[in-house]
Amino acid sequence: MTDTRHVSAIDDSIETEARSFGRQVWDRFRRHKLAVLAAVVLVVLTVSFWVAPALSPYEFDEITPDFRQPPTAAHPFGTDDIGRDLLVRTFMGGRFSIRIALLVALSTTLIGTLLGAVAGYFGGWIDALVSQIINMVLLVPALAILLVLALKWGSSPWSISIVLAALLWTRIARVVRGLFLQYKEQEFVMAARSAGARSGRIMFRHILPNVMGPVVVETTLLVGTAIILESTLSFLGLGVQFPTPTLGNLVAEAKGAIDSNPYRVLLPGSFVMLITLSINFLGDGLRDALDPSSGGGRT
Amino acid sequence: MPPALSTARPMLSTARAKRGTGDWRLETRLKWLGGWVHMTGVFAYAVRRIFTTIPLLVAATFVVFVLVSISGDPLARLATCTTCSDAAYDRLIDLYELDKPIPLRYVGWITDAATGDLGTSTSLGEKPVAGIVAERLWNTALLAVPSFLLIAFLAVVLGVFSAIKQYSIGDYLVTGASFVGIAMPTFFFGLLLQAFWGVWWQDWTGWKPFYVTGKHVASFGDYLASATLPIITLTIVLLATESRFQRAAMLEVIGSDYIRTARAKGLSERRVIFKHALRNALIPLVTLWALDFAGLLGGSVITETIFAWPGLGQLLVSALPNLDLDLVMGLVMVAALLTISFNLLADLLYGVLDPRIRYD
Repeated sequence: MTDTRHVSAIDDSIETEARSFGRQVWDRFRRHKLAVLAAVVLVVLTVSFWVAPALSPYEFDEITPDFRQPPTAAHPFGTDDIGRDLLVRTFMGGRFSIRIALLVALSTTLIGTLLGAVAGYFGGWIDALVSQIINMVLLVPALAILLVLALKWGSSPWSISIVLAALLWTRIARVVRGLFLQYKEQEFVMAARSAGARSGRIMFRHILPNVMGPVVVETTLLVGTAIILESTLSFLGLGVQFPTPTLGNLVAEAKGAIDSNPYRVLLPGSFVMLITLSINFLGDGLRDALDPSSGGGRT
Repeated sequence: MPPALSTARPMLSTARAKRGTGDWRLETRLKWLGGWVHMTGVFAYAVRRIFTTIPLLVAATFVVFVLVSISGDPLARLATCTTCSDAAYDRLIDLYELDKPIPLRYVGWITDAATGDLGTSTSLGEKPVAGIVAERLWNTALLAVPSFLLIAFLAVVLGVFSAIKQYSIGDYLVTGASFVGIAMPTFFFGLLLQAFWGVWWQDWTGWKPFYVTGKHVASFGDYLASATLPIITLTIVLLATESRFQRAAMLEVIGSDYIRTARAKGLSERRVIFKHALRNALIPLVTLWALDFAGLLGGSVITETIFAWPGLGQLLVSALPNLDLDLVMGLVMVAALLTISFNLLADLLYGVLDPRIRYD
């Protein structure tokens, strides 16, 4: 009797130990309170960027007679030089900024992972070529290239995303390349190869799932980098053009009015900061959750 | 004579007799030779690095040259000019060799650049690019050097403090502040500083301690008053990253076996931290320092634009829309050369600081 109780107790403990990988990740992530908070903040912000403009009585490019208003009941964020409501513009700006950042992060991840995987897996001249291109991109000042590209091609949200992705792919490519170099020598890859799997299958079915953790983390952090870079470009007047608002060009438009209505600068600027801050915390939490050995930012 | 020496150092000579020739003079000479061989190893490494970087530099400048060349037509600027003669057109075509295909123009530019002739700036009244760049580099250095010193010093102080007081309130404050610093866009921070000291502080106190735009260097006091705000702006973002890095490096070292050994020997905590731990934790930071300093010297577009500081970054922003091709290329070249040199310097310093690293 007592024996079976013991056994069932052991059974229980075994059962609780045997959690799926996803479950383990979630449990570890949940313990990182700041990361959870950051995720909540990001969801709330993103939802509000899509919902708030719909609820607002104004359109983002609608010109009203009350121009250069400080925050009032009718216009909680005030209005700009030609009387557009800044609440709806700021939230629309957030929407465009998030959309661009997601686009950048996804396309950068795609390019970077693909090039990094090919370089790391095949080695030889392909690796040499990709590595040299990466070194080349690192050699020239990033902002200079960005400015040149943006001047010519980057005036719509789509083109600005491509321009940013063309510049940002190197970091993730280096990470993926390093991991592929490491994994391709391991037994499971040799097993797959001896079973007759082709290179493409080994790369994407066998190795790629193993590197997804770091890739997810890098992608998350890329969203933050993209938001900052996009707003910086817009600030210099080379980003998304009038009348489409982004958080960056809202700050740029408002910089002349900073003494009469500082909220015009403070509000969109704080949104950029809040988003980036949350994304960095989220990335940190994900790193700890996906790869407990990394130690990440918590060491 | 030799016997006297061997009696003077009995311990050493027996130790040598076990493993080597026993002839200490020969060994000393061999050691010297070894050192010399090591030095030539470093030298050979540096030379090899420089030679492998040249094709990279050529390729990178070619890509930039093509991008800038196709980004717009320099002649378009003259189209709106009613007083310009045909001679002005011809002059521009001649300067930029616009009658040739882009690759040939590049060949012309790079052969000139190799001899130190960076071409002619058109937007700043036909002056040689090299002269303009040198002048602006000095202006940028006025911000970059103090800012770099501040960053390097504060990053070490904050990083070490955070690491030895891990999970204390102070650590949380420093870590929290560095997260905010990393998330803060430079233009936002710069604008806030400018508005605070340029407008709000003056409204409250009637006193304006800083110039908020432009470079003023009539006296040292003027320099301080005009450079302080841009220096702070440059410092904040990089400091945030570097102090996090220093903290991580320090924690890694503190957790290692030789630190436990040092403590077990009974060394004071001060000695353990500053002599044993810090010296090793500084090594990975050297690379970061080199890259950051190269970046700072290359000019910071945002900070210089906001504070109207006539440095390299501000020059780039004004040269691009004017399609001042040679000037843009000159700036890119300078930034690339800075990155290359400081990277190489960092790699060589790495070998000095960590003798386990071999260049082969």
